[in-house]
Amino acid sequence: MSITIIKKGISDSIQDAGRYGYQHIGIQPCGYMDYLSAQLANYILNNSVTNPVIEIHFPTSTFYFEAENIICITGANFVPVLNEKSIAMQTPIQVNNGDVLQFLQPIHGRIAYIAFQGELTNNKWLNSFSYFSKRLELDSKLEIVKKEITPKDPTTLVDLFETIETRVFKQGVFQFIPGPAWNDLDQPSIQQVLNNPFKTTLQSNRMGFQLKGPSLNLISPKSYLSSAVTRGTMQLLPNGELIILMADHQTIGGYPNLGQIILVDLPRLAQLGKDSIIHFSLTNVDSAQQQYQSLQNRFTN
Amino acid sequence: MKINSIYNKVDWQIQHLGDHAFVFLLPAIMNENIIAQIMKLKKFIASKKMEGIKDLIPSYHSLTIVYDIQLLKETLYESFVSIDMIEFGNKLLTDYFNEPIFENKNKIENEIIKVPVCYEIEYGIDLKNLSVLKNIQVEEIIKIHTNTIYNVYCLGFMPGFAYMGKVDALIQINRHPKPRPLVPAGSVGIAGEQTGIYPMNAPGGWQIIGRTPIKIFDPIHLAKFNVADQIQFYSIDKATYLATNEYPTI
Repeated sequence: MSITIIKKGISDSIQDAGRYGYQHIGIQPCGYMDYLSAQLANYILNNSVTNPVIEIHFPTSTFYFEAENIICITGANFVPVLNEKSIAMQTPIQVNNGDVLQFLQPIHGRIAYIAFQGELTNNKWLNSFSYFSKRLELDSKLEIVKKEITPKDPTTLVDLFETIETRVFKQGVFQFIPGPAWNDLDQPSIQQVLNNPFKTTLQSNRMGFQLKGPSLNLISPKSYLSSAVTRGTMQLLPNGELIILMADHQTIGGYPNLGQIILVDLPRLAQLGKDSIIHFSLTNVDSAQQQYQSLQNRFTN
Repeated sequence: MKINSIYNKVDWQIQHLGDHAFVFLLPAIMNENIIAQIMKLKKFIASKKMEGIKDLIPSYHSLTIVYDIQLLKETLYESFVSIDMIEFGNKLLTDYFNEPIFENKNKIENEIIKVPVCYEIEYGIDLKNLSVLKNIQVEEIIKIHTNTIYNVYCLGFMPGFAYMGKVDALIQINRHPKPRPLVPAGSVGIAGEQTGIYPMNAPGGWQIIGRTPIKIFDPIHLAKFNVADQIQFYSIDKATYLATNEYPTI
């Protein structure tokens, strides 16, 4: 059984929970950008929530199914159609040999996910299907060994859908935990970060989101020995602007590390288009981990 | 500041790095003893094979632990009802300093890895400029670059890219203000106090002084160098470079 790309999208890829364990030799972790939507798609299908999925941006690829499967689409709404007929999101969809899946227009959000049933047998590298800068091309194939599982009934998941929708798509501040260089910012800059809006720009991709906003300054010029960064790290660039590192981030950074956006807020950032307004607020590790765990607990059983 | 002594538990700091990582820190100095201590702690923690620890990333004076809070909680549930990562880090340090095997090894003994470099002007495209700026003959630059034994302080920027130091002050030069769109794989460059090799073709701003024929990263063997390795370059001529080049020519 395979799914074949019969028209190439702008930037679609296979993603799973990422490649960890190799950052000490400089290998980027990668993995789904909006991990909540990806988890949700797998959860609805009764897959392991870390299964590989297809991550798509608009304009998306067109997908051709060579055998039957059950798929589920979550995340951004790009108006999915199967054989030109509209299909529901967040719902298990039966597909058959010869079916064609397309996406017609971006309604909201930046990234959508397609989960499928069965085991992907494409090449894995170092325990992950996520590859840095490798995209689905024309004629790329996902080879899948089918496994029959009964998906969940979406009508029983309304509460969960609402929780995820709120986390991923509703307005809200971006919570961060101060980083090693936070106290090296001058007082006006600290106030700017806490009180003024920033804007997303066209320089947004799987590596990072560069923001436009008030120019930030350190109390005095300082150089830092490079150290590890993470998904969510807020780096101060030499021109005074902020960049937030995302899934394909480099492993080590030498720019001032002002803080890290917490895990529960990263899917919402990943879904923002350009010129979206964002506000920051301080939080702490306890609160961040509680929010993360209470969300993750929603995906058990 | 203590540089050559053994570090005690009190010399280490532990800081959160967001909600899924924390960092062990020694004083912020580029120094071979410090990076050796960082690697010792890394090896100790790795030997515990704890589920929930996703990455251990050494760099100069820091060791960053990336963790999965859920998995770690399951692993540690017995000893930590509510898990505080600083407390957890402290416990790791205590165990580390109590472990006799790790206690008395002041220095990790390394063989020096010899790396061939062809310093011909066609590969070392910034050599002439460096020579003019620093008022040093090209031959002298090569001599200085090959006489120094470098330590690897971290790998980053791209898979397998090793940051090595310390470059002799006589030939230190800042990065190009604007990165080149393409630096060929194997290129050897200088950026301030550091020298390094591009593992693959990539955009980059380091000042290029030569090229090595040997591969330093591939998807099967992964990175040729590890953090805290010691490296010395030696000069080869163009014929040797061409005969031993492991990279596809572009």
